[in-house]
Amino acid sequence: MIDNPYKNYFEMMPAYLTILDRDLRIVEANERFRQDFGDCEGRYCFQINQHRSERCEHCPAERTFRDGLPHGIEEKFINHLGNEIFLLIYTTAITNEAGEIIHVMKMATDITEIKLLQNQIRDSRERYRQLFEEVPCYISIQDSDLRIVEANRRLREDFGALPGAKCHQTYMHRTEPCVPCIVKQTFGDGQIHQSEEVMTSQKGDHVNVLVYTAPVRNAEGQIKNVIEMGTNITQIRQLQSQLTSLGLIISSISHGIKGLLTSLDGGVYLVNTGLAKNDRARFEQGWKMVERNITRIRRMVLDLLYYAKDRVPDLERIPALAVAEEVCEVMRGKAAEIGIDFRWEIDRNPGDFEADSKAIRSLLVNLVENAIDACRVDKKKNAHQVRIGLKGYPEYIEFEVEDNGIGMDQETRERAFTLFFSSKRGSGTGLGLFISNKIAQAHGGEIKIESELNKGTRMIVKLPRKPPTTGTKAPNV
Amino acid sequence: MPNPKRILIVDDEPDIRTYLSTLLGDQGYETLQAKDGEEAMQKVQAGPPDLITLDISMPEKSGIRFFREMKTDDRWKHIPIIIVTGVSEDFKKFISSRHQVPAPEGFVSKPINQEEIMNLVHSLIK
Repeated sequence: MIDNPYKNYFEMMPAYLTILDRDLRIVEANERFRQDFGDCEGRYCFQINQHRSERCEHCPAERTFRDGLPHGIEEKFINHLGNEIFLLIYTTAITNEAGEIIHVMKMATDITEIKLLQNQIRDSRERYRQLFEEVPCYISIQDSDLRIVEANRRLREDFGALPGAKCHQTYMHRTEPCVPCIVKQTFGDGQIHQSEEVMTSQKGDHVNVLVYTAPVRNAEGQIKNVIEMGTNITQIRQLQSQLTSLGLIISSISHGIKGLLTSLDGGVYLVNTGLAKNDRARFEQGWKMVERNITRIRRMVLDLLYYAKDRVPDLERIPALAVAEEVCEVMRGKAAEIGIDFRWEIDRNPGDFEADSKAIRSLLVNLVENAIDACRVDKKKNAHQVRIGLKGYPEYIEFEVEDNGIGMDQETRERAFTLFFSSKRGSGTGLGLFISNKIAQAHGGEIKIESELNKGTRMIVKLPRKPPTTGTKAPNV
Repeated sequence: MPNPKRILIVDDEPDIRTYLSTLLGDQGYETLQAKDGEEAMQKVQAGPPDLITLDISMPEKSGIRFFREMKTDDRWKHIPIIIVTGVSEDFKKFISSRHQVPAPEGFVSKPINQEEIMNLVHSLIK
């Protein structure tokens, strides 16, 4: 079939070589083929290779016989030892002098090792991809322009990080890169860098993230990209902030109590010396001091108890008018003492609502006290007013406390309901508005703040006539 | 009888001013009052006192600022100042550790021990 010297090459080729006729019978096979598949001349190719009785579905030899062109295919075989091997098969036509295809030569190379290696690489790539995607951290690969080349699932979900977007735009909503930028630092020195950032998520939440960067080098050792990995530490920071706040509140309370005790001592001193000197005016002045400071201590203790206890509002049907009048009565004197014009604009027939009367009273007293304090410390105006409003609507009752005191800047407005936040320096505990807000929420209501620095503040309290049953439990109040 | 010594009491809490004013008045001192650092400075400028008791945390001009202004002004720096505060002892260390400003002549914690403050006042304005 094959003449020398080609016969020798045919025999010695490190591949499986066979010559097939149109019936796909093996006309000739080389030594390597015979070694691994046995003596098979005259038998059908598909019987030997695939142990089949029918022709293979995508037989390249058949196609070559049909179109005369070379064809290739990758196939799995079982060799004579029963082992699975992968072969890369090429077929080529052998023609006679008239150009007719009389045989097809089939060359098969054993690529089992390469195939196994490929599978291993694919599996390990898949594993790395899965690790990259599912790890509970934020991971991105960035180029030297700080563009995100790749982002893992968590980063995409929380920050909408899309390939091509700039890092600082995506996480920080900034137009300029951060200063310092640890990705740039890693590009510069090839070292690992670390920083803590406050990022803004897609939903607008602030997320505290501990970020590390490391270089990604190519085969030549050049830094092609930088990998940035961030861990969400918001919960840890919140806990720290709560602990810090707790420390602050203790120091603030302790400062407040020391002041109150000093005033109380003062009252007692005036009472005692007034009695001893038979000085009635001094005695009376001292007694007022004692009374005033006992009231202040009581209020502070009650505030603290309110904060410390898990309190459920004790709901009863109460007339809104009576609550407002009572609060006005109590606070009018206090405002008058420091020359504040105290007014009320009250709907005379607002109706009843279901509420914890003690809680609502302390909410309103707290708002009015804040209004009076805001006027007291305001030195920019000659005359100050505090106005109490009350209106009854079909579904809810609306109380309003308005003053023309110092007002609030944006930060104070935004943090007004935060626990332990006080704009009154030493004289506030940071409890009042926090508790007031919790009371309103526990009644299914809300407090709105309208305020402008140096102009004044209006607090609007909306309370439903009947609190929703789910809103009756006050969390941590 | 010689002119009584004048003491300026600076505190934002009116009851504490009344207390100290009565207590010191009973010991023969003449007292003035100021509710914050700003008013205190006006009183000093109107006629310097012989001693000042000073609270630290006040809503308007704070005690610390007033103290610094007093101790860096040649006209007033000789006037002894007793810090009367509910702020912790750490503050004493803080204010004493600052080199630019001398330490206060006295330091009394709230609630006030009457004997302690009287002894201090007597020793500072003999």
